Amino acid sequence: MHEPSDQNWILRPDAVATVLTDRAVILDLRTKFFFSANPTGWAIIQMFETGATRADVHAASRTWGANGVDEAAINGVIDQLLQEGLPAPATTPVAGAPAVPVAAWVTPTFSKHAEPLQRIMVSAFDPGLPLAE
Amino acid sequence: MTPAVTEAAYSCGPVRLELVVEDASLAGALHGFLAQYDTPWPAIATTIRVAIEGGGAPLGMTEPSGNYLQLHHLRVDRHDRGLVSLGNLGVSMEFDLAHQARIGVPLDRPLPALAEEIEQQLMLLLTRGWAQAGWTPLHAGSLIPPHDNRCVLVCAPSGGGKSTFISAMLRRGWRTLGDDKALLRHEADGVVARALTRRFHLDPSSSRWFPEAGDLEAWPRYSRWTGKRVVRIEGIWPDRLMDSAIPAGVVQLERAPAGPHLAVEALDQIGVMNTLLRQVVLPADAAHARPLINCVAATAAPVRGALIRVGDNAFADPAIAVRLEDELRRLLA
Repeated sequence: MHEPSDQNWILRPDAVATVLTDRAVILDLRTKFFFSANPTGWAIIQMFETGATRADVHAASRTWGANGVDEAAINGVIDQLLQEGLPAPATTPVAGAPAVPVAAWVTPTFSKHAEPLQRIMVSAFDPGLPLAE
Repeated sequence: MTPAVTEAAYSCGPVRLELVVEDASLAGALHGFLAQYDTPWPAIATTIRVAIEGGGAPLGMTEPSGNYLQLHHLRVDRHDRGLVSLGNLGVSMEFDLAHQARIGVPLDRPLPALAEEIEQQLMLLLTRGWAQAGWTPLHAGSLIPPHDNRCVLVCAPSGGGKSTFISAMLRRGWRTLGDDKALLRHEADGVVARALTRRFHLDPSSSRWFPEAGDLEAWPRYSRWTGKRVVRIEGIWPDRLMDSAIPAGVVQLERAPAGPHLAVEALDQIGVMNTLLRQVVLPADAAHARPLINCVAATAAPVRGALIRVGDNAFADPAIAVRLEDELRRLLA
């Protein structure tokens, strides 16, 4: 059961994304968990930067080369994003955005890293817990 | 306490701190902490004037909840007027995120503990000052092979063996930006790493592997919480300190007390990113965190990484240092 089809979702401002060579990393500053996405997963996430509905994402995915068999994977990425609370329901009208170009369609992936980053730091320079010497 | 206003200035990398301290004994106690940032820097990007005054937190200050940053000894909030932080002993700081800060000190507490809490506040001030000047503070050591300007960043928590690992390579002619602090900056043609301090923190017991280091017990103690000594590395291995290098490899270093002397696994790009992110203090404020995260990503993207596990007493075997050198060169190949 999905949310209403016209529900717009927008990435929370404290979910910070950055791009590596062929992956993107999204860090949730609230929970300190981080996530990685492949290029098509990242293209989906980018749609939520300006606001999108689930239907918007499916429509864009079709233009990128997705077909019926990819729907489950696309829904899987969206469901996980929503489960992690990274996009929030948009409370004001969203700008929406043309989908970013995707070089080649591959099944989108979005993975959560098992260990969050440190929430309580040793100092403003040293995030880690010191090991016993 | 010694009431006498003391003024002092310290150039700490690209940030100059101008201190006005109401209490001379406090000023003396803070000198060692601030004087550690002794690496020459090409230009000062910003000056912050810090008033350190008796009296603790200002009246009406709302106790910070840690919505910006939570440290073991400080909670830091961001307000419209800047950062407000409060330590467990009651040392407070207001920083306007520009050029002015005030640290309030409850002078009825023991001096060593007060000085440590003020150091924590100054560390917060410096890391924010460095970040605002475009630099990302990285809690990592580094190794630079002879005749090269590229470095391998060596990442581990405090006590994780960075200083020993780096010392083992300095003996073999490698050079370094330091054993646990560097600043990174994403420039037009890539990321550059710069040194902040020329002092190492070495455990005196490491002299059993590095006899040329002499009696490390004779050097000053780093803090009252650790047996490590503050060592001027040039006195032991001359010409090993560099001011800057280009990051080209990342090592995640782990101690393996019950494991083999040496075990190496490759890290993929996400593994490198994970390793580096764990060495950077990220505030919860997205506008402040984003440039730091982008700099880490720019560092991680072009480099090779390895997880290196080093067993206890591994450096008693000279062959281990040779194998480690081979692994480091593989990262830079």
